[in-house]
This record gives sequence, C-alpha cells and structure tokens, in this order.
Amino acid sequence: MAWTFELVHGPLGRPIGGLAWDGSGMLFSDIDNSVILRWDPRAYSVAPARKYTNRTNGIAFGANGVLYGCQSGSRRIVRFMPDGSATVPATRVAGKVHNNPYFLTVDRHERVWFSDPNHSALAVGPGPQRFPPLGHQSVLRLARGPRTDWHLERMTFDTSAPAGVAVSPDQKTLYVAESNNQRGGVRELRAYPIEDDGTLGAHIVLHTFGSDRRGIHRGAEGLCVDTEGNIIACAGWQRSGPGPLVYVFSPAGAVLETHAVPADLPLNCAFGDDRLGSLYVTTAAGHLFRIQSIGRNGYMPYP
Amino acid sequence: MEFDMAAPGFEKIVSGEMKLEIIAPDAQVSEGPVWNKRTGEFYWVSIIGNTLWKWKPGVGREVVMRPSYKADGMTFDRQGRLVVAGWAWRRVWRMELDGTIKTLCSHYDGEKLNTPNDIVVKSDGSIYFTDPPGALNSVEMHGEDVQRYLDYCGVFRISPEGRTTLVIKDMVYPNGLAFSPDESLLYVNDTREFLIRVFDVRADGSLAHGRLFHKITGTDEGMPDGLKVDSEGNVYCTGPGGIHVISPSGAWLGRLKVPAHVNNMGWGDDDWRSLFIACDTAVFRVRLGIPGTPTW
Repeated sequence: MAWTFELVHGPLGRPIGGLAWDGSGMLFSDIDNSVILRWDPRAYSVAPARKYTNRTNGIAFGANGVLYGCQSGSRRIVRFMPDGSATVPATRVAGKVHNNPYFLTVDRHERVWFSDPNHSALAVGPGPQRFPPLGHQSVLRLARGPRTDWHLERMTFDTSAPAGVAVSPDQKTLYVAESNNQRGGVRELRAYPIEDDGTLGAHIVLHTFGSDRRGIHRGAEGLCVDTEGNIIACAGWQRSGPGPLVYVFSPAGAVLETHAVPADLPLNCAFGDDRLGSLYVTTAAGHLFRIQSIGRNGYMPYP
Repeated sequence: MEFDMAAPGFEKIVSGEMKLEIIAPDAQVSEGPVWNKRTGEFYWVSIIGNTLWKWKPGVGREVVMRPSYKADGMTFDRQGRLVVAGWAWRRVWRMELDGTIKTLCSHYDGEKLNTPNDIVVKSDGSIYFTDPPGALNSVEMHGEDVQRYLDYCGVFRISPEGRTTLVIKDMVYPNGLAFSPDESLLYVNDTREFLIRVFDVRADGSLAHGRLFHKITGTDEGMPDGLKVDSEGNVYCTGPGGIHVISPSGAWLGRLKVPAHVNNMGWGDDDWRSLFIACDTAVFRVRLGIPGTPTW
C-alpha cells in the first residue's frame, strides 16, 4: 500500500527532531529555535508548547504528564513538568558530565534510554563547555534509584555514533540505530536484549546500511515501534543509496516495507492520532509529514 | 604577572613587579569577589562547590555558607550586609547581620526571574542587578527549576523601599555592572554582544541615554563577564586573555593577562589597591597602581 505523505507543517528550513504524541496533538522539537511546537490535528494548526528549551531534540512522555527532553545545548536530560517548570534529574555518568543527548525513549518502568553522541559544537555558551566530553558515545539510561533520586548509567559499550532508540512492547529489547555516516563507519540497526538484571546483552544486527561507488547509504536516525513489535526507522538520503526512506522492519530484521519520503534527510518518526494509527515523519529541512492509516498502530507506554 | 600595554595611562596601573598571588587554589568556578572593609575579609563563592567562602589575610579561609545555592555576584550594602545575585536560586538575597537570609526579589511582573548574575549597591541604598539566563543552561550549576519564563534579560533596580523596577530591557546578555566613581554613569557589559554600554543615572534612579561605551576585542579565550571601575573612572572588564582596562573616554588602555578563565574581580585590602580575580580554577590577588572604587 502506497503511503500518502501529507505535509502538515513546514518546511522550516531547519531540522525538526523530537516527536511526542500527547494524546490529542503532536509535539515536535524545533531544535535551532529552542522551542517545542504542538500540532493540533483537529484545529489543523501549530502553536508553541514550550519555549526556551535550549536545543532540546528528542522528547517522550513518562508518567503523570512529564515530558522528558534531550537538552543537547545543556548536555542533560530535562523533565518538562505539567506546571510549566523544568527540572534536572541527573547529569553525571560515573562522575562525569555526559555529552549531547540526541534521541530518547521512556520504557514502562519510566527508565529513560537515550543516545549521547558528542556534538559539542552545539552546546550553548561556556557553561556546558567547561566539562570535557566523555571518552565514549553511548546509550545511557536514567532511572530512579532506591531512594527515588535519579542516577545515570552507561548501557552500551560498543557504540560510537548512536542515534535513534526504541524499546520493544514486551520491554525485552532495546533497538539502537548506530549511524556513522562517514566512509568506513558502522551503520546498523541493532537489537540489544535487556537482561533481567537491567543490563544489555550482546546485540544482534537487524539491518546494515551499505555504501558503494556512489557513496554512503545514510544510516537510520529516529525509530519507533508498533504494537506488534515491528520497528519503524527513518534512513537514507538523496545523495546516494536507495534514497530517503521510512523502513518497517520485523523484530527479526526482515524488511517488511519501505516508503520513499518526498523530502531529503528524514530524521524522526512517531505514531499519533486516533488509536495511534497515523505515522508522523520529520526531516532535516523541517518538514512535518503525516501518513494516515498506515495499517499499524503505535506502541507507547505513555501517556 | 604579564600584561599588554595598549595606550598611555596603563603604566599608572601596572608595573613589571606585579605578582599574581593565589588566594584559593581549588576554586571550582569562583565568582562574587568582594571585600568586607569592616572585618578586613575577602568573600567569594565557588559555584560548583556550592559554597560561600571568606578569607582573611594571615589567617586563612573558612566557610560562610554551604550550600550557597549556586550564588554568583556579591557586594555589601551601607549597613555591611552581604547582598547577593543568587543565580541558580533565581533571586536576589541579603544576608542579614545575624546571618539569616532574606529574599529581596524573586519575581518580576508575576514571573520568576532568569538567573540574577551580578549586583551593585548605590550610595542611596538602591540595588541594581543583571538577569541573564546563564544558570538555566549550565549543566552542574543549575537550580531546582531550569525553565525560563521572562522573554528578556533585564537589568533591575530595587529601590531602598524594596520595590523592583526594570531599568534596562534591550540588552542581549547583560552581565557585569558598576557605577562610575561619582555614580552619574552605570556601565553594563554584554556577554553575547561583546561590548560595554554606559547609561546616565537619573536622580530617581532610572537610566537614560544608553550608548556604546567600548567593544571588547581579541581572539584569546575569555569574554565580558565581571566589570568593575577604579577610583579614577577606568573600567575593568573580563575579556579575551584576561582583564581589559578601558579609560573613562572608552579607549582601550591594555589588559592584565590572567592564566585562567576569569569570571569576575573585586577591589580589596585596606587601601583598595588589590584586585581579587575570581577564575574557574583559582582566586588570585594582584596589587595595582590605582585604588579601586570602595565597596560599602
């Protein structure tokens, strides 16, 4: 079935990254403008939902209406609270300030899994830059400790360019897009088993993005999952390879569907609308597309 | 201590014998350097260390307050009370003579302030402070609420009666501020714009005729942050490579080269001829040729 990409907002001329469905509207991150906007499908209009986000990219809801955000300009995860305030749970992993959080997902235990590549040029002002970057670029996890305080843990030890992350509906698998778009770089969609003790086991590769004489086939960026556990991923570009695409992978890595995106550099995807039956797709040039009734329904633990 | 001479007049301030003395070696981002003339003690804060310190020559240092709630700029008022730009605590507060803490301003027009950064007290007891959003974006130096609410970075005045008014609204990132010795002018630097503006101070405490005073230049590490004025009206402003000194007419006289990232400085010792320099890594002291403007 061919998808109809409906341009509901943009292009802004700058990236739209994070996406989070709030139950009746789609929140999306206008990163460079440090604002989270909200698309209301009923009113067919966009309004600011949160200002002064300091380059927040990935966003996702946790319990009680808390919106988690990857505040890349401040090198931390923030909790955007329903009363309009914003709080900081934890900023150090093994005693060190981490890099620039990029995309995140919240699991059913309200643990926040996020990719933490080093994009230090994007941190804002000297405050965040006082601290050197970590010696690694990993997936980190924020969780409440035994006394309800928050702590950060390093979860992957074999990534160097993590991007999109998603957790399977049964909470047993973490999907990670490892996307180094340099020649010779690793570009894989990986599945890490989440062990009973909370650590990650050895990953399997669901898909490898290649390269040829034309150049690199751009790896995956944002990910999301449907109720059956299939993984939806944005990848590709016009420069080389199969072009900008939305992929649907089975949990075993079979390519179930691909759909050409009518704009370059797709960045992120998330389900929204009634019964989470529509897919929203963003791009680096700031398109917000919607594809209605894709025949799948999204999985999200919150709201 | 090294320096760059740019124009005549600087030799009255610097000399080849100047020595940079370490007052605190492990500063963890020091700020708020101010001299208490009543007790002969030097006060400063460590922002990451979350501690308000004092130091007495020949005695050493001790903790005044911990946590200091990530406080920033500090000065004394005419009653000898420490008046503090509370930065990550999002308020201006005062330490009363009995040690209790009194909040002087935390909101404006019903909205929470950004993060009060630096502060000065005029002879009539009014307080002027800058309110850029720095602590909202600084990892490891944040407070409880990091959401920004105000759509501008203001300079505010708290009247002697305690009423707060917005006196500058059109700067991008106002930071350091100080009066000229006769209090007819207020200098305010802008961290983002890399410049110092000067305003006429009216009798009612409002400001007028804001204009460019000096553009900070240089490619070394550093930026406009702290700003102070000496007793002859020369303006000292942090900038690339250390502390830039500008004559009252706006001419660049030269700079003191500081081997660390400088956040702020303050005058001290009984003759006001010492400059205490608050850096990320340490607090230094250096003796200069012209006394500074005394703090109350």
